[in-house]
Amino acid sequence: MISNPIIFTSLIFIPIITGFVGCIFPKVFYKIGFGILFFYSILSLVGYLNGFEYTYHLINKDGIPLSFDNYSLPLIFGSSVVIMITFILKSKNFSHYFYQICLVLFSALSISFISKDLVSLYIALELTGFCAFLLVADRNDSRALFNSFQYLIGGGLAMLIYLIGVIQAFTYTGTFILNDLINAPATSLCLISAGLLTKAGIFICGVWVPNIYSDSNTQSTAILSGCVTCAAVAPLSRMSVILAPIGNSLIIIGILSSIFGAIFALIENDDGRTLGWSSVSQLGIAMLSPTYGCLYAMQHGICKSILFLTLNKNQTETNIYSNNLNNLEINNQDIDELIRIFAFIIAGLSISGFPFLSGYITKLLVKSDLPNEALIIFNSSALLTSGVYVKLIISRLNNIKIKYLLRKVSNFLRLNLFNVLSSKNITLILVSFSVFGFSFIQSKYFSLEKIQMSFITLLLGFVFYLSFMGIKSNPSVSNLRKTIDIIGAPFVVAALLLANLTYLKIL
Amino acid sequence: MNISLDLSTNTILLIPCVILFIIGCFGLLNSKTIFNALFSLDVIDTATISTFVIIAAFPGSQTPIIGYERYSSYADPYPQAIILTAIVIGFATQALLSAIALRLSRKFPLLRFKDLENDK
Repeated sequence: MISNPIIFTSLIFIPIITGFVGCIFPKVFYKIGFGILFFYSILSLVGYLNGFEYTYHLINKDGIPLSFDNYSLPLIFGSSVVIMITFILKSKNFSHYFYQICLVLFSALSISFISKDLVSLYIALELTGFCAFLLVADRNDSRALFNSFQYLIGGGLAMLIYLIGVIQAFTYTGTFILNDLINAPATSLCLISAGLLTKAGIFICGVWVPNIYSDSNTQSTAILSGCVTCAAVAPLSRMSVILAPIGNSLIIIGILSSIFGAIFALIENDDGRTLGWSSVSQLGIAMLSPTYGCLYAMQHGICKSILFLTLNKNQTETNIYSNNLNNLEINNQDIDELIRIFAFIIAGLSISGFPFLSGYITKLLVKSDLPNEALIIFNSSALLTSGVYVKLIISRLNNIKIKYLLRKVSNFLRLNLFNVLSSKNITLILVSFSVFGFSFIQSKYFSLEKIQMSFITLLLGFVFYLSFMGIKSNPSVSNLRKTIDIIGAPFVVAALLLANLTYLKIL
Repeated sequence: MNISLDLSTNTILLIPCVILFIIGCFGLLNSKTIFNALFSLDVIDTATISTFVIIAAFPGSQTPIIGYERYSSYADPYPQAIILTAIVIGFATQALLSAIALRLSRKFPLLRFKDLENDK
């Protein structure tokens, strides 16, 4: 394939230029931007499947090292797909400069995925943070503005902690390159990891995640959950590959995060906040395995964005939630709603690891990379996760009588099939089937034992949910709404990491 | 990996920065209004920047020009060049936060967190 530094560098900057020019000519560049995203997704998918790897230095030998490899390519694919899905499904609700911000965000994300230099990473993460801030503030009411304020303060503090770690590493190594961190002292590594963990929203650093997700627009939430939290996953994976002690400590943080997030998701009342806590838990699982973490984060991002986009009921009137179904007339809007429900269920099952879906494969890949001590906790977190998604799917299917409905729908479809095929429906169906199809690429992971195990996990999750269904947090007591209360969380996590590195030495 | 404290001149130079950082964090954690949080973040920003500048000046504080007799102990230009970016980013963050504070002050003139949380 191509191996020219100039082409790759210009590839990074094409979306950001399109975004800025698109502010002047909005209508023309919307289509061009969409085409660019499509091109990138194809390119990164082909590159990943062929095992493409290319590392180069910007400007000359001592320049900034950038690398396209199996850490960055899946994440680039995932974020471009997430932004494309959002463009198709929600383009009518976009406000003035929405898609331009998304394109700028895409460039910033790809820089943070590919760069192996600490300062470029800092700049890319700050740019990502600004774009995410603009997306959150898009709803423009006081609550969304307050949330975006908290996000910016928290992100800014995290990045300053990261900078302190970087300068301490610099005094020992003399460079800002990620691979030279081997000579850096333990404190600097802890500070750098704490900053990155806050950006990824893991463990107690990630309490901003559910607050932000519940109080912003659907399209912003989909993009935030799909790509922005993945921004720090690639550098963390790279770090834990080259530094064994940090890798081991991150396994502990990841396990704690997966359990903590899933328990909070189970006792939450609001569906949006439940998905937010589940995101904390899933990214914790992505931390467990440095080799497959990026793949896991990609799968989780795509499924989570579909879940957010199809979570709420359609704004237009649909009849399928009504009680008397005997004299019900099915029309196009009802079919739309049913397709949305179908996509929701597929995405939810995929995250909880149902066999023959892509989440099953990524879960097995992560599992194969774990030490034996961590396996039992990983399984219990998978159980909790399936409990969470059973809860979500049941609450989504509430008020629907499937048996009557299926008969009516099949009658309707026999008469007029082609009226249903709008671009939104086609996208949702395609995405759901590609979630199926992706799992068949690696067929060696399908053994009877493993399939049984994941079925049983899901069944146990169902039983678990049924037995604890009554436990819900009291709605009158306000749960942690103010992110700024735990703005010191990066310090706590850094202290935990340092304690583990120097004294405890678990794992 | 053990942490040892050696009080050389360089370490003593960094102590004010650390104190400034702690003051900023304390202010951020105890802030009651949006403005306090905003200013505390600025204090932490300043602490970080001065840490970079002081560490860059460990070898000496002269201009990094090679070839003259009088320039023998020069400062490291690399972190100083890097921190310029961080200064600009910090300034941009402050600008965005001030804009948000301005918007919020129309509805909540006192900008207290207590009022903003209970808003429904």
